[in-house]
Amino acid sequence: MKRFFENVKKYYKYAVYSAKAELKSEVANSYLNWVWWLLDPICFMLIYTFIVEIVFKTSEPYFPVFVFIGLTTWTFFKQMISGSVKLVSSNRSIVTKVYIPKYILLLSKSFKYLFKMMISFSLVIVLMLIFNVPFTIQILWFIPILIVLYVVSFGLGSILIHFGIYVEDLFNVVNIVLKLMFYLSGIFYNIRTRVPAPYNGILLRVNPAAFIMDEFRKILIDGKMPSLAGLSFWLFVGIILTMIGVKIIHKYENSYAKVI
Amino acid sequence: MKDNKNEISISVKNLHISYKGLKKFSIKKSLLHRKTSKLETFEAIRGISFDVPKGKIVGIIGKNGSGKSTLLRAIAGIFSPDKGTIDLHGNSVSLLSIGVGFQNRLTGYENIYLAGMLLGFTEEEIKLKEKEIIKFADLGDFIYKPVKTYSSGMYSKLAFAITAILETDIMLIDEVLSVGDAAFKIKSYNKMKELIMDENRTVVIVSHVSATLRELCDEVIWMHEGKIKKQGKPDEILDEYNEFMKSKVKS
Repeated sequence: MKRFFENVKKYYKYAVYSAKAELKSEVANSYLNWVWWLLDPICFMLIYTFIVEIVFKTSEPYFPVFVFIGLTTWTFFKQMISGSVKLVSSNRSIVTKVYIPKYILLLSKSFKYLFKMMISFSLVIVLMLIFNVPFTIQILWFIPILIVLYVVSFGLGSILIHFGIYVEDLFNVVNIVLKLMFYLSGIFYNIRTRVPAPYNGILLRVNPAAFIMDEFRKILIDGKMPSLAGLSFWLFVGIILTMIGVKIIHKYENSYAKVI
Repeated sequence: MKDNKNEISISVKNLHISYKGLKKFSIKKSLLHRKTSKLETFEAIRGISFDVPKGKIVGIIGKNGSGKSTLLRAIAGIFSPDKGTIDLHGNSVSLLSIGVGFQNRLTGYENIYLAGMLLGFTEEEIKLKEKEIIKFADLGDFIYKPVKTYSSGMYSKLAFAITAILETDIMLIDEVLSVGDAAFKIKSYNKMKELIMDENRTVVIVSHVSATLRELCDEVIWMHEGKIKKQGKPDEILDEYNEFMKSKVKS
């Protein structure tokens, strides 16, 4: 673990620079530039609002805000997971030419996704103002919940980096699992009220994306305290996963260049 | 020769590297055929030891597949040895082969910084040398365009400029002196010579061009099937190597 922190310290600037440069190139290469970062979640929010409110005629209070929080959380989680699987092979040109601790690649990617998530969350604030969602002091819990989300995604991602190299079709498996999780995370419905009794509790307990999404909604929309036990549990799990991932990478990363 | 001959900057001892047991597997395939696939072992390097004194230029020759590139990558720290040790005595090292690990979507300018940081330089240090690198690479406006738009010659010009100007203690060069246009070839050749004059710089070159090795190197190592076949003065070794290759063509 000491080596992990030393490496992070050493390559931190590289990760930041690389993330910045990538964001810049994304902006430079597309027609509507950074507008896509706003347009993309807004369009999906409109689609889900249409399906849920008009087709299925159900709703949650402040539905657009509700969906937007779900989408923002989910997008970050999904990008971290699916990005990790092919991380090393997609950075082939670097990995085969120079030594770099492989989780630094994930760190750099995570900065990029974090930045985009922050844009998305600022839209949440704008939506909250538009729909007159009452702001409460509970909003301060935002940062701790964000940290839990980050640590859990990073931990899962760092383990997937390793297996993504050796298992050729892991990408397909992960995609299917992510699709399933997408529907089981309650992005456009409320797990607590829509899923029957024993299952909703189980779902919120085993699916980190569902749990974290729910916590964000609690503090932003309902103005309630988050579940501290739940948050500390997932923080702990995230740290353990990260430790396992980092350990595996340290042990095997030298062979990666031989395989890809 | 240089005065600080006694100081060693690369020592390789009994190095073994093999590509083994690293076969990828796929869930689909292992479900369809329950047989476990045989592990193929290929020993690329089988027991190599040598020292490179500080400030020297060492050339490596050998036919394709004799383990030259594997050796360079091992020295650069991309692979770890399966057996034996490589000690760089704390020197910084850069591997120059076609493209030094550029991110294709980013511009040449950004890649200068990224590559530099990966070689262990700080942003400020790179900033100081930035102009010199851009001037040496001589890419005109292309330096501000994504690397994916570059031709292979431009790619290696930039790669060479970065490693040559940033000056790591050890430079490992894998067959790049033969790329680029005539003007750049002369320029990089001269830069190489200038680097060689620097007595703190240690260089290992892999090349198939005998003339280059003859002129630049202090010593040549001939690798054959993962082992050192011969090691010594450039002229002797290269003559013998050329004879050997000719006899292979005849038979």
